[in-house]
Amino acid sequence: MSSTNDNAVYNARILHMVASSSRLRRVALFVALMLTSAPIVFASDWRIPEEQLARKIAAATGPGAVALEVANNSSLSHNDAEEIRRGLTSELAALGARLVNPEQAAATVQVTLSENLQDYVWVAEIRQGNNELSVAMVTTARPASVVVEHPAIAVTIRKTLLWTDENRILDVALLNGNPQHMIVLESESVMLLKFQDARWQQEQSLAVSHARPWPRDLRGRLILRSDHLFDAYLPGVFCRTSTTAALTLSCYESDDPWPLGTGESGLSAFFAPTRNFFTGALSPGIGKQTTMKAFYSAAMLPRDKYMLWVFSTVDGEVHLLDGISDQTQPKLGWGSDIASVHSNCGMGWQVLVTIEQDGASDSIKAFEIVDRASTVVSQPAEFSGIITALWADADGTGAIAVSQNSETGRYEAYRISIACSQ
Amino acid sequence: MRLTAFPLLVASSLLWATGPTATRPHYGGTLHLAMRAAPTSLDPADSTQPGFGFRNVSSLMFETLVSLDERGEPQPALASSWHVEPGSQRWQFFLRRGITFQDGTPVTPEVVAASLRRTNPTWKVFSEGEAVVIERDSAAPNLPAELSLPRNSIVKRDGGKISGTGAFAVSLWDPGKKLFLTASDDYWGGRAFLDAIEIEMGKSFREQMISLDLGKAQVIEVAPEQAHRVAAEGRRIDSSAPVELIALLFSLEPQSSDDVRQRQALALSIDRESLNTVVLQGGAELAGSLLPNWLTGYAFLFPSAIDLELARQIRGEIPHTTSWSLAYDPADPAARVIAERVVLNARDAGLGMQITSASSADLRIVRVPLVSLDGQIALREVAARLGFSSSRFVSGSIDDLYNAENKLLQSQRVIPLLHLRTAYAVSNDVKNWRTARDGSWRVTDTWLTAEKP
Repeated sequence: MSSTNDNAVYNARILHMVASSSRLRRVALFVALMLTSAPIVFASDWRIPEEQLARKIAAATGPGAVALEVANNSSLSHNDAEEIRRGLTSELAALGARLVNPEQAAATVQVTLSENLQDYVWVAEIRQGNNELSVAMVTTARPASVVVEHPAIAVTIRKTLLWTDENRILDVALLNGNPQHMIVLESESVMLLKFQDARWQQEQSLAVSHARPWPRDLRGRLILRSDHLFDAYLPGVFCRTSTTAALTLSCYESDDPWPLGTGESGLSAFFAPTRNFFTGALSPGIGKQTTMKAFYSAAMLPRDKYMLWVFSTVDGEVHLLDGISDQTQPKLGWGSDIASVHSNCGMGWQVLVTIEQDGASDSIKAFEIVDRASTVVSQPAEFSGIITALWADADGTGAIAVSQNSETGRYEAYRISIACSQ
Repeated sequence: MRLTAFPLLVASSLLWATGPTATRPHYGGTLHLAMRAAPTSLDPADSTQPGFGFRNVSSLMFETLVSLDERGEPQPALASSWHVEPGSQRWQFFLRRGITFQDGTPVTPEVVAASLRRTNPTWKVFSEGEAVVIERDSAAPNLPAELSLPRNSIVKRDGGKISGTGAFAVSLWDPGKKLFLTASDDYWGGRAFLDAIEIEMGKSFREQMISLDLGKAQVIEVAPEQAHRVAAEGRRIDSSAPVELIALLFSLEPQSSDDVRQRQALALSIDRESLNTVVLQGGAELAGSLLPNWLTGYAFLFPSAIDLELARQIRGEIPHTTSWSLAYDPADPAARVIAERVVLNARDAGLGMQITSASSADLRIVRVPLVSLDGQIALREVAARLGFSSSRFVSGSIDDLYNAENKLLQSQRVIPLLHLRTAYAVSNDVKNWRTARDGSWRVTDTWLTAEKP
């Protein structure tokens, strides 16, 4: 027995992955996946435990008149419990038992559907005449977690589920083409996937090597490049894909600044290698402003003659920098992560902001900033857990949000885009 | 195959951390804790140290080869993987690479083997290449779970000094009074968000509450019977599943068949419902079994409801009954009240019993922590704490566990009363504090809002 997962390793070269000259062509809006609308169902087969328990019961009672009662003390649904009762009845009958009322029975069997940490536990208490109580029990594995459907989202912010994984997803990038490709950055690997047969299929997994342990609340960012496929920025580590036909990933210790905004904004910032924030040192800077407070995230808002940068700082403030002034907006109630998106609505650029929803989950709202004042312009897009990453995508028309589902614990990566309200 | 929808299966709130949202964790700051226990040693192998408090403190500094997740499933810790040979007697554990002790020396198979040999002298433990091999006399299918017990933490002993691999290292240690820990920057699991943890020891519940009110402590223990009231006052309470057994333990085996029946009558006479609702203010669950139902799924087979009529009937069938003496820990105020009620219940059934402070009582009230999320390991540890011979398990099946527990209860040496939760009051500036299902702390992801980097 081993605790390690024998994950498949994919070494096939990805076709059509040569960088195109246009990121706009390469990175596309990804239309709705069927995953988001399909109801989540699980197939359960109770026949084996039903048969096992029936055998144990029959071994104690022998053939004859048996009264059976089933009580559900577990998280099984009423329908499941009823289905199990029918299954047990059927199995017992097949083993020679005749199901009767308690007053006519030679043996009474009380089955309790219970559960513990790992399993459903079905317990049969068997009483025959004046004999002592005998007990029979079986276990069957309980699902570790379930995906719970979430209510429909608001109309102005659209979220499309791209990928889910039990490992923490740090960033995702979509590449247009036929077939479409997707890159998923995780702590120990970068996965390359192809959309084929109506689902994403893994083509290759590239290891992310790092000598030092990752900091907690790990963050990382993918940047698509024109002369090679992508760069990956992680705390204290920089990874770059090869330019050769056989795609490889080289990672090395580096304190190179991470690109901010869409990646084409020209502004980068230094990320603290053992923490979860940017140090505040900017490269090359916004006008003359080359340093600011430590911050978690930044969003760019192009204006006619300058670029306005919005920073969510570690001390909970929001700062607006335009190359000359640094204006503080201390109590907006924004979360740590922000990203800007370009749309055809309103002022053309909105800031997506993480907002605490109910203590256990987050939402994203869109804001516009007019004359240094922020105005909310959307209904919240709700998530089923906390948002662990929010990055603008390569062409600025959307963003990637990753949340950890509070029910399942799995990470879910979404593409976020904005549609104009009717 | 039948299709079944599971729209909302139980997903315990304990399963996943639901810390403060939208705001990323902040690095820095010192977390101030207070606790009742006053351990005089930090060595996880020291079995004389007190219960949950010691375990939780120890886990900040020391780690095991394997840990158990919230479902009781073994997960890699210092061992990245393991292999068992057929028969489950010989196990190989492969160490995670690049881990160092807090003194900077590497974690090697030799040091790990020496650490495990010290706490398990009957095991054959040795290094073999990059692996640690454990050979047992008989099948040990639950060995990974057993290795997750705190006493099997990997400790490097150098003279009188001990060193671990945990997220925090000792900066200051005043035995039984105060412990100051600082975050290890090179911790293999990623440096903790907190810079340091200060733990005040040997503080009563009342002293702890005062410290919380004065802002001197940010996390304190709350007596189970106080948890509802403290929560009603608007304080943040974080609780475990019921993880501590309160039971009556007889000092001797039953001496006769009448003695057996008298003990059965006592078990039937106890009004556990009142103990829970009145004495413990709902901070417990009724216990007819040693292990709680959430751990086994079958605990309801052991009745916990009062049956005074049957108790009196059994009492009436015994020609000569013994008047028992009942002892309790005088430092445990809840135990005193429980003892008084048990005596009243026994008298209602016609049984003679009086409370004593003598150490040689016929029976006493005991508290036994459930130290593992693995049912078999938990039962074995409970049996050991109660002074019973070790339970033998043929397999890992639920039947095996049930039979072993049933056998212990049939010995009539112990009468389970309640399973208690552990509860903590947490100040609002502490984020992502989590008490696991088994009452252990999850501190490495905890952070403080007030601090700035």
